[in-house]
Amino acid sequence: MSLPQTPYNYSLTQPLYDWHPWNMKWILFFGALIGSGICDRETFSGHQVFRINIRNEDEISKLNRLVNSDNLKLDLWKSPSTLGHPADVLVPSFSLQEVKSFLEDHGLEYSVAIEDLQNVLDSEHQQLQRNVRQELSNNCFNYGAYHTLEDIHKEMDSIVKSYPHLVSAVKIGHSFENRLMYVLKFSTGKGRQRPAILLNAGIHAREWISSATAIWTARKIACDYGRDLVITSILEKMDIFLLPVANPDGYVYTHTHNRLWRKTRSVNPRSTCIGADPNRNWDSHFGGVGTSNDPCSDTYHGLHAHSEVEVKSVADFITNHGDFKCLIDLHSYSQLVMYPYGYTTSRVPDADELDMVARNASKAMASLSGTQYQVGSVGSTVYTASGNTIDWAYDNGIKYAFSFELRDTGFYAFALPADQIIPTAQETWLGLKTIMEHVRNNI
Amino acid sequence: MQLRRQPLSAPRPGDTRPAAQRLAVPLLLLLALQGAAASGGPEDSGWLQDAEPSSRLLSQAARAALHFFNFRAASPSALQVLANVLDGRSWVNQKKEYKFDLVFTTEFYSAEEGEKRLGKCSAQVFFRNEKPRPAVNVTCTQLVKKERRQEEDYQLYKLMKQLKSPLNAVSIPDSHGYIAPSLRPIWDLAFLGSSYVMWQKSTPFLHYYMSQISSVKQWKTNDDAIDFDYTVLLHEFSTQEIIPCRIHLVWYPSKPLKVKYHCQERQTPEEASGTEEGSAVALTELSNF
Repeated sequence: MSLPQTPYNYSLTQPLYDWHPWNMKWILFFGALIGSGICDRETFSGHQVFRINIRNEDEISKLNRLVNSDNLKLDLWKSPSTLGHPADVLVPSFSLQEVKSFLEDHGLEYSVAIEDLQNVLDSEHQQLQRNVRQELSNNCFNYGAYHTLEDIHKEMDSIVKSYPHLVSAVKIGHSFENRLMYVLKFSTGKGRQRPAILLNAGIHAREWISSATAIWTARKIACDYGRDLVITSILEKMDIFLLPVANPDGYVYTHTHNRLWRKTRSVNPRSTCIGADPNRNWDSHFGGVGTSNDPCSDTYHGLHAHSEVEVKSVADFITNHGDFKCLIDLHSYSQLVMYPYGYTTSRVPDADELDMVARNASKAMASLSGTQYQVGSVGSTVYTASGNTIDWAYDNGIKYAFSFELRDTGFYAFALPADQIIPTAQETWLGLKTIMEHVRNNI
Repeated sequence: MQLRRQPLSAPRPGDTRPAAQRLAVPLLLLLALQGAAASGGPEDSGWLQDAEPSSRLLSQAARAALHFFNFRAASPSALQVLANVLDGRSWVNQKKEYKFDLVFTTEFYSAEEGEKRLGKCSAQVFFRNEKPRPAVNVTCTQLVKKERRQEEDYQLYKLMKQLKSPLNAVSIPDSHGYIAPSLRPIWDLAFLGSSYVMWQKSTPFLHYYMSQISSVKQWKTNDDAIDFDYTVLLHEFSTQEIIPCRIHLVWYPSKPLKVKYHCQERQTPEEASGTEEGSAVALTELSNF
């Protein structure tokens, strides 16, 4: 989706937010580039904001004619909702002369509210950067690298601090070894409960690219809110919850002991083997096909459904919230976008819609670098796997439940090189947005 | 799974074999596994053709065929991986053995960025219960001319001869997925050796990827050949298990690969002994027409 010249372009309908040009807060929407180079930057050099007085119906229709002319590329920021209130219009530099002539010819009163938008943005941006730099530590988080759990959690703290009006920290529980289950909440709801989306990552410890993609995505959502129409409109209606490391004990273990560890690190009562597969531990056809009852197995389902505290924390969180519409679970590897079921190859009732959404997501992901993601249900695409996250989600009212297998297709497998993190995260973002946008439009 | 009963005399009576048409493609590199066909072949066992073969099964059979192909080609500079299955048929018999007839595309394992040349293979793959490894008959188009392939193998070989012993290399790739460019030939050679093991261990339901070289026990290049003793971590996809395999190979460009291995299977109550040993190559010589 190409960026309009302002983040919002709702023509003569009520604008999304109550614009007040002199309120500097909206400036944050444009240029809040916080050091990590994720946001795109546009230039508004020479662009001016005109404030036009509207005194009667006749003048409203003249304004409409002006704003709707294609070649001028004007952007109505604030419509005259009631007579007597002026309209604010962003005029690009190449249209300035024509607009001035029109206004003068038709006797419309106007003043130039902002002489050069870019100057305003630049100075605000500098101010913002100064503020943020003061808060950030000297070592900026490198999104193109893998990080320890501690560093990921620190960066999550930092995002919360940088975007306090959008992002908050939600601690949903603790792992077996008492590490934090740390969720970021993205909300414009001002505390009101809204239908929600959960982005779940790192449930399998060795799938590092999943958590790396998730933390990049956290920064991307925060950064692009107010700049990107799609994510902004999603957040207008829904909350997004993001859990970058759903299996913190396992993740730490892959750093300290065994890079290829998969499961949790819970103690099994009658075995020396540690851990259960958290993606077989959900209360949906628990213990069925595609799981093992051997604690030493990498697909050991655990003692009983939700026996793993990491799984129980998320399940309880979702259940207590009561209004989740979408859950996307990030894994690696294989390059797949999948939907339920995993316990069987039979189709779910919503298979047609889910398949279509998944295909659109896959197309979007391929559009960036040509990376191909195959599409299908879990059971018919990889293997039968009972008790997995998205089966449970689907059976508990979350229709839009998807499981992604990120890069690659087996060359580097779990040890995906760090230089593929950002390309992977960027293409995954397109897939996530496709799904979330569909959800927003269909709930 | 819908099954159609077929006459017992031949797998597909009367059908024009698409594979036969494809054999007319020029520049064929023909590999034929002669010795492993058992007596009392498929005709006896009542083969039922699967009307809707699952793409997953076909892909797994294709991968097994490719592992075998890579092993027999013994060319670390020209390793192939599965791109797409174009066409496939599968049969199963009463003993739950599987047979496949496949056509699939391949691409280079070590493809440079943007390099997207596809090869094409046709293969028959027979998974039997008694013998651990599938019998494979595979024919692939030549992606690279034989001379060029041999030249590139020789270049790789020279690089390897110059390598100081990588015995202190902790793991390849490291945790962050990094393979030092100088160690890249080792990775390719290790993959070649692993191909033998992965071929041996593949079943219709188990397929493998090479995850990591976890240690190098020996790297000898003082004789002509490269003598490489290492441990590799194989990832089995459907069980998600990581299986350490000790592999010892001897390689010289354009000669068949000699390889021995020993994998450490996870002990489970159901399985018997978890160890496996493959002897050095005693199969028929590579045949080139």
